[in-house]
Amino acid sequence: MNSMNNTADECNAEASSCYQPTPYFEIDTPFIPAHEWPLMLIDMALSRGVEEHKLLRNTGIFREDISRRNLQLSPQQCFQLIHNIQKQHHHQELGFLLGHSLFSSLETTATKALNKATNLQAAIDILIDQQSQLMPLLQFRTCYEQEHLVIYWQDACGAETTLIFLVEMISTALSSLTRWHCDENIPWQFYVTHSKPAYIEQYEVHLHNKVQFSSHANAMSIARDYLYIPWKNNCAATPTGALPVTHPHLQSMSFHRGFLSELYNYLHHNIHHNPSLDKTAAAFGMSSASFKRKLKKHHSHFQEQYDLVRKDLALYWLHQAGWSKDQVAQALHFYDVANLRRAFKKWTGGLSGSR
Amino acid sequence: MLKHHKWKLFFVGMGANLALIASLAVSDLKVLAEINWLDVLSEGGAAALALVWLGLILHSRPAGRVTQYLSLGLSGIFLAGFQDLLDEFIRFPETARWDHWIESGCMPIGLVLLTLGIYHWHKEQLSINEQLRKRERLFREHRSLDFTTNLSGADYLRKQLLQALPEHRNAEQSLALLFIDVDNFREINRRYGHQQGDHLLQSLSELILLNIRRSDVLCRYAGDRFALILSNTGRAGAENIAGEISAAVQHFAYKPQNQDESLFHSVSIGIALTSTDTTTRDSAEALIERANLALLHAKEKHHATLQRAA
Repeated sequence: MNSMNNTADECNAEASSCYQPTPYFEIDTPFIPAHEWPLMLIDMALSRGVEEHKLLRNTGIFREDISRRNLQLSPQQCFQLIHNIQKQHHHQELGFLLGHSLFSSLETTATKALNKATNLQAAIDILIDQQSQLMPLLQFRTCYEQEHLVIYWQDACGAETTLIFLVEMISTALSSLTRWHCDENIPWQFYVTHSKPAYIEQYEVHLHNKVQFSSHANAMSIARDYLYIPWKNNCAATPTGALPVTHPHLQSMSFHRGFLSELYNYLHHNIHHNPSLDKTAAAFGMSSASFKRKLKKHHSHFQEQYDLVRKDLALYWLHQAGWSKDQVAQALHFYDVANLRRAFKKWTGGLSGSR
Repeated sequence: MLKHHKWKLFFVGMGANLALIASLAVSDLKVLAEINWLDVLSEGGAAALALVWLGLILHSRPAGRVTQYLSLGLSGIFLAGFQDLLDEFIRFPETARWDHWIESGCMPIGLVLLTLGIYHWHKEQLSINEQLRKRERLFREHRSLDFTTNLSGADYLRKQLLQALPEHRNAEQSLALLFIDVDNFREINRRYGHQQGDHLLQSLSELILLNIRRSDVLCRYAGDRFALILSNTGRAGAENIAGEISAAVQHFAYKPQNQDESLFHSVSIGIALTSTDTTTRDSAEALIERANLALLHAKEKHHATLQRAA
């Protein structure tokens, strides 16, 4: 359950090296182009009878401003927009609907590249490389687990309750893309952390019912065999009404991921140094008090993030790398296995269960 | 809606005003100690509520005979209540009898008109029910209506099945649940945008409604999947109706907006039946799951045929 990407492996190899934080965006950094998926979401909601003033309440977005083409939204504004939608009566389908259009109806440099991918592996490389353009609110991580490739979705900057919507959207988006280019029956398996919702029919129809609820992570997995099946080139079928868009500002974007993702990365890579709040704050170049404030702004606290990293590492080491519980307890700086077990129970509800 | 009724509201306001002015002209105000506040509250409350009902009725109904009766009746009740309220504050001289006439005259006339209105409303509702028949049965829940197709959603389907299953079990009749899924629906959304996709779904729902019996109920399950409940229907009957719906959809030439070409579609249909055996009890979830599974098989079959054709 976790996320060993290439850099992580390198870092583990040289235990002495120390990962330094790279520039990140925050919950109030305006950089998401409003006329891309936010506009699509607004239009979908309006066409399903959501009233405009309820939809845009407290978001600070004005519909007229979006047409100016250079309006940029902060993650906070997007979260508020989604939150407003979640308050509406049976609009659970909107996350899935947006997912179906996310990579196919928007014409940006990133989605064009994605649709020109030659196979799933290439598409996933593009997804990881350009995630801040494709869907910055979620952090993607990939990991090979036995014969499967698993893609994990994590909260990048404090999504709170809107995370469910985002996960529904991105799962639908990627499965819809692969169904279109590769195979109508591609056997994705989905994992979500929330429990089975009342609107289960949406999962049945849009994600073909292959969803495991109350899992330890939000993820989707696919057998490795599907990674290199050549994709059909359906580019001729691009929509007529799509926006022709250029992004001068995207090239100048100086960051790759959100604050919480960057913190996760930092803790993940420096776990052998037993990172504390003070050490981490110093590495991020601020006082402990400022760091705590920043975490609070992103609806989290240090222990929560640290536990998340340790849970993911523990699951990976135990179930994928085949470590013993003693080794894991030591690597995660627990006094003994009993303490690890207790903590683990708190994080996941039991040590024996795998994902 | 209210702007269609502004004259009605104007006359009610005028009536109340005239009553107030006439009362003040002929008589004196009571002193504070004489006023019975409990009466003021109950009589004033009744008048105010009559006004609220009038507002709700006018706000939600188009103009017409039924609305006319209802609003006249409620206006009469309001005026009677208002006059009743006025004489709590105003002492009428013995010689002035007209205030009594307003009070006692408006009330019965208002009640009669209101009764007449409700009677016609009832008739009207019966004829609307007839129109809604294939969209709902047994009970109504306006909150589960889907905005795109005006059909009820999955929640309604589950509740409907919960009620219908025991009835069928007792009557030893089987019930069929059909799941109808549009093939390649995503392609329309991709090519023409989601508005066109919504419009297609709406057209298809109308088309399916035309092809089913009066006793059947159509719901929109989710996305491009419809659920059709066929009461008192066996395997042969269900397959028959499924075939008819497939044929109707295949011959339906859908025209997207701003396009000259016609688009043709096909549907895959999964059928699940309850067993007539009284010992086994089908739950709504189990039936839905079976219908979903049957649909999946139908889809695979459709997919295989397409590949063979290619």
